[in-house]
Amino acid sequence: MGKYSDSDEWEDIVPIPQDDGGLNPLAAIAYTEEYSEAMSYLRAAMAEDEKSDRALGLTEDIIRMNPAHYTVWLYRADMLFTLQKDLLQELEWLNAISLKHIKNFQIWHHRQVVMSHIPALPPTEIAFLARMLAKDAKNYHVWSYRQWFVRHFSLWDSELPYVETLLQSDVRNNSAWNHRWFIVFARYTDPKQHSIKKGDADSEIPLEIMRREIEYTKAAISTAPQNQSPWNYLRGVLKIKGMGLVELKDFAEQYADLEKEDEVRSSHALDFLADVYAEEEHKERSAKALELLARRYDPIRKNYWDYRRSLLGLELVGA
Amino acid sequence: MSASTSTTHASLNKEKHVRYWLRCLKTYLPSVYISNEAQRMSLGFFILSALDLLGALHTRITASERTEYADWILRCQHPDGGFRGFTGTMTGEENTNEWDVANLAATYFACAALVVLGEGMDRVKRKECLEWVKSLQRANGSFGEGIGKGGVVEGAEDMRFCYLATVTRWFLRRGEDMDEVEDINVEGLVEWIKASVTYEGGIAQAPLHEAHAGFTYNGVGALMLLGMLPRHTDKSKNEGTMSAEFVENVTKWLVSRQTLMLHEGDELPMVDDEPPDMTPKFFPRTFHVQGAFPVSVTDAILQNASVEISTHDLQWAGFNGRCNKVADTCYAFWVGGTLGMLKREHIQDFNAIRYYLLDKTQHMIGGFGKLPGDGPGPFSSMAIEL
Repeated sequence: MGKYSDSDEWEDIVPIPQDDGGLNPLAAIAYTEEYSEAMSYLRAAMAEDEKSDRALGLTEDIIRMNPAHYTVWLYRADMLFTLQKDLLQELEWLNAISLKHIKNFQIWHHRQVVMSHIPALPPTEIAFLARMLAKDAKNYHVWSYRQWFVRHFSLWDSELPYVETLLQSDVRNNSAWNHRWFIVFARYTDPKQHSIKKGDADSEIPLEIMRREIEYTKAAISTAPQNQSPWNYLRGVLKIKGMGLVELKDFAEQYADLEKEDEVRSSHALDFLADVYAEEEHKERSAKALELLARRYDPIRKNYWDYRRSLLGLELVGA
Repeated sequence: MSASTSTTHASLNKEKHVRYWLRCLKTYLPSVYISNEAQRMSLGFFILSALDLLGALHTRITASERTEYADWILRCQHPDGGFRGFTGTMTGEENTNEWDVANLAATYFACAALVVLGEGMDRVKRKECLEWVKSLQRANGSFGEGIGKGGVVEGAEDMRFCYLATVTRWFLRRGEDMDEVEDINVEGLVEWIKASVTYEGGIAQAPLHEAHAGFTYNGVGALMLLGMLPRHTDKSKNEGTMSAEFVENVTKWLVSRQTLMLHEGDELPMVDDEPPDMTPKFFPRTFHVQGAFPVSVTDAILQNASVEISTHDLQWAGFNGRCNKVADTCYAFWVGGTLGMLKREHIQDFNAIRYYLLDKTQHMIGGFGKLPGDGPGPFSSMAIEL
């Protein structure tokens, strides 16, 4: 009595029940009858490596109940390609599951496997990804997939304006900042080596792009100075460029003037300046910035700022 | 800093936690765990290991029960090496069909659970397992999670798999008789991990992805087991290991994860959502939170000295997994553990994270939840019992 045992479609199949061994299995689960039955038919189908519409339907049933079942996805993908199924239809089916199970690795990997068999960019894909990110703008799986997708279909140029709209609606979206980094710099990386192509970084990445990135990031900081994402981005750009942080000393001092201790507007500016002053060998000033962080503007990381101060090699002042 | 406050903090309700884990071990996990069936091996490890850490595995469980749990784990061992995550793909005692395959995460957790049970590696097909792990490595140095049809490496490019492969190798590649088994490409693996260090200083799932505390734990953990962390005080002995710059950058990234942002409501909603509730509970009256998560773009600056962080609020600080995200129980493990591997655990605010876990996410029936107010679950709870 069940969906499969009662069905004429499956009557030639002898289901294989689960054998969990002795009396003390680990992490045993109270299976529903529906799941147990479907799994018994799945085992039978997999044992014969059956490729059929009914087996595809069965994998759909299992995935609905257990989307993290790692082999059912492989079995399904193999059937889709062997039976030459409509892959666009598969994507549509995946859309619904993806919206339901937001945090699942397998679903997105399967999407990538299916998409790599589709020759041209499906017209609905961009809209679907936007919908996923509207649900959670920091969904790691979606961003990871999106990187692959941008590279696969060479969508570099259309992607930057999209990232900017996301940053406009939330300038603290660190995933969007990271994606910006990918869009701007991954073109200059060798996907096999995963590093900036050998040779002088300046000759690879046009200077106007570096300037554009610095200006964009400075503008983002000016709208929300106490936001670590663009400060990290700025440090990253300066490093690729081979520039010292000193170049942006005046900019950072707008947000943290050591002469006006009460008017510090960004702890990240203080941190930035602590490094600038250390670069300039102004150890006392650097120490003062770190003390302000430890004592007043970022006391949650007091131990860290004290550690950084100790690296300057100065005598400890009485607290 | 907060020594002067008079709040009494909760303590670890040890007996309740033991009973929570015994319930997980000896009764069926509820049906909602069907969606975790393929991870039964990891759930099993969490349960056994939590009881072990709480000192109950050898007092509340008999020796014959422990052997039977080991038997179940070994039942999942694949004849060609490695372990399955559950018994659900097995279709007979002898023959394995081509969809009944070993899985890397399951293999790692099976080995770890056998160690916890005191069973050791005697019944593990070590040679076959090491060869299988080697077969999971790709030309670019990264690892997959299993072998599919036609010997294809299956799974995403993923830092987790690099960590799991490295620990499994560490468990099994011991003793002279293992020297004859061809080793993984260590150099390629290290290069791939280096390529996954991001501009922020943390490590991502794969090159160019976003730095994340879980993947940072995986990357640093793999580097540690490969002897690549510069851990000698005598600098000349650190030759060939990761640079001092890497260590400083990842340390800073890790300590930056500690946050007073404990509730989803502490984050600003997206523009399409409801307008933010401006009441004090929504934006706790600490400049850290007010400054970091501004009400509007023009207000987006640190408040001046008129708003000091109160010592009261500083008592509870969790860890987030990525920049500008809310704290979550599990990251206490991923961040704290990584700092520990770097021998820098003293740099975090230990009391603040301790009180966050005990006061905010410990559950009244035992176990820990993911966020304050959440019900307990084995994943979050295990992270904390560690």
